Amino acid sequence: MSPLIRMRLAGFLRGGRMLPPAIAVLVVLGVIYGGGASPAAVAYGYSAAALFPVLAWQTKLLLDTEPDVQRRLARVAVGARTEATAGLLAAAVLALVVCALAMGAPWLFNGIDTTKALGPGVALGVLAHLLAVPPAIAVGALASRAVTRGVRNGVAVLVTAAVLVVVLGLQGSVAPWLVPPVMATARALSGRELPGAPALALLTGWAALWCAAALLGYAQLRRSRS
Amino acid sequence: MRFDGVWFRYGRRADWTLREVDAAVEPGQTVVVLGRNGAGKSTLLQLAAGVLRPSRGVVRDRPPIVGWVPERFPADQPFTAGDYLHRMAELRGHDPGEADQWIERLLLTAHTGTRLSDLSKGTAQKVGLAQALIARPGLLILDEPWEGLDAVARTLVPEIVAEVTAAGGMVLLSDHRGETAHLPGAIHWQVAEGTLAPAEPPPPPAHDQVVIEITVPRAAVDETVVRLRAQGHAVSSVRDVSAPNRTEPVPGPTASITPGGANARKAADGSWERG
Repeated sequence: MSPLIRMRLAGFLRGGRMLPPAIAVLVVLGVIYGGGASPAAVAYGYSAAALFPVLAWQTKLLLDTEPDVQRRLARVAVGARTEATAGLLAAAVLALVVCALAMGAPWLFNGIDTTKALGPGVALGVLAHLLAVPPAIAVGALASRAVTRGVRNGVAVLVTAAVLVVVLGLQGSVAPWLVPPVMATARALSGRELPGAPALALLTGWAALWCAAALLGYAQLRRSRS
Repeated sequence: MRFDGVWFRYGRRADWTLREVDAAVEPGQTVVVLGRNGAGKSTLLQLAAGVLRPSRGVVRDRPPIVGWVPERFPADQPFTAGDYLHRMAELRGHDPGEADQWIERLLLTAHTGTRLSDLSKGTAQKVGLAQALIARPGLLILDEPWEGLDAVARTLVPEIVAEVTAAGGMVLLSDHRGETAHLPGAIHWQVAEGTLAPAEPPPPPAHDQVVIEITVPRAAVDETVVRLRAQGHAVSSVRDVSAPNRTEPVPGPTASITPGGANARKAADGSWERG
């Protein structure tokens, strides 16, 4: 599977399609850290939430880089399941690199308040980003051309999902469980007290269940569409 | 490999592209799929390759290693031809260097450093052919394999098909140029109105013939004419080199034999094209 992951990453990076999401990441980081230093948990909680749509968009761009016929050639070469999984894993590798850069960047510009204990805040920040990555990949995959079959449908799926994640994720939402807990995680990390183990377990289980459902849908749609 | 009651359509509301296809391909067999443009030839080949899933029915006993050459190679990729083929070899679980033998055989060595998007259509098609052959497929699917290929590469296609079938593999291919005359023993299927039926091999189109000029000793003229006709070639006239303006028509099918002409030189260096 790794040759296909490498091939897709190489195609994405060499083709120049990485530039728009890379610029978007810089803008997001500029907005979050431009106003001065914040406690690590708060900063990273918002960073994870703000990166969510960018990571979803980046996933869609990566999966759409390969021409449809080449995707079918890859399917013939490695099998349908491996072909689909390799795309998701390539997106995951890229998303984790972006998250690592996003978490390292504020240290260069004094964006983290170092007067308070850093360990728990940084650990929760890592968790917040890890909880944002799989749902973002799932949304990007559901918006990819292999599923939506067209640019317009793909953009519609991506934008609708990104808006719903924010709107349904707001406090007091009628159906927060319809979307991954991106906003809920950001809220939990920006409270007066850091969240305890039960709250974190709930957020993790929620994200895992949501991703499982979304990726199951993706697998089903990929099975029925070439 | 068997098509068992295979139906296919592109979308739930679309018309059926293929209906109730029942057919089988045996090991060592070459099947040529005929049909007009849009009849469903490519669809049938993609169903055979496993690229498309039947809407109803099933394709059984497909060999585990399939090589598929699409009608149009996807050249819009940021790789050079060599890099691409090495990566495709890796994808198949082979050493990247195993692509080199196909690069040489398909005369792609001079193009390995060229970006896929800068390749001519014929060269890109050869890259498509090479990627399908790296893994030694048990089922080779060729969608219009002669399209855009130069004369030398065209002669390789029947060779490659023969090698795959000799090793017990199966070959399915579509062709609208009449090149399948070069595939002895191939059976033919006709796709029309969404259905599949056995068909007779079509005669080669008249416009797709060339004239080869050869020189033979005067004493061997009769024997050569007889031998060429016995091999299925048409001989129309014989020209005396010592009297260039004297051409004797030969009763029977057409073709002419003349020495040292431009076509002969092109044929010798491999640069001639079929008309």
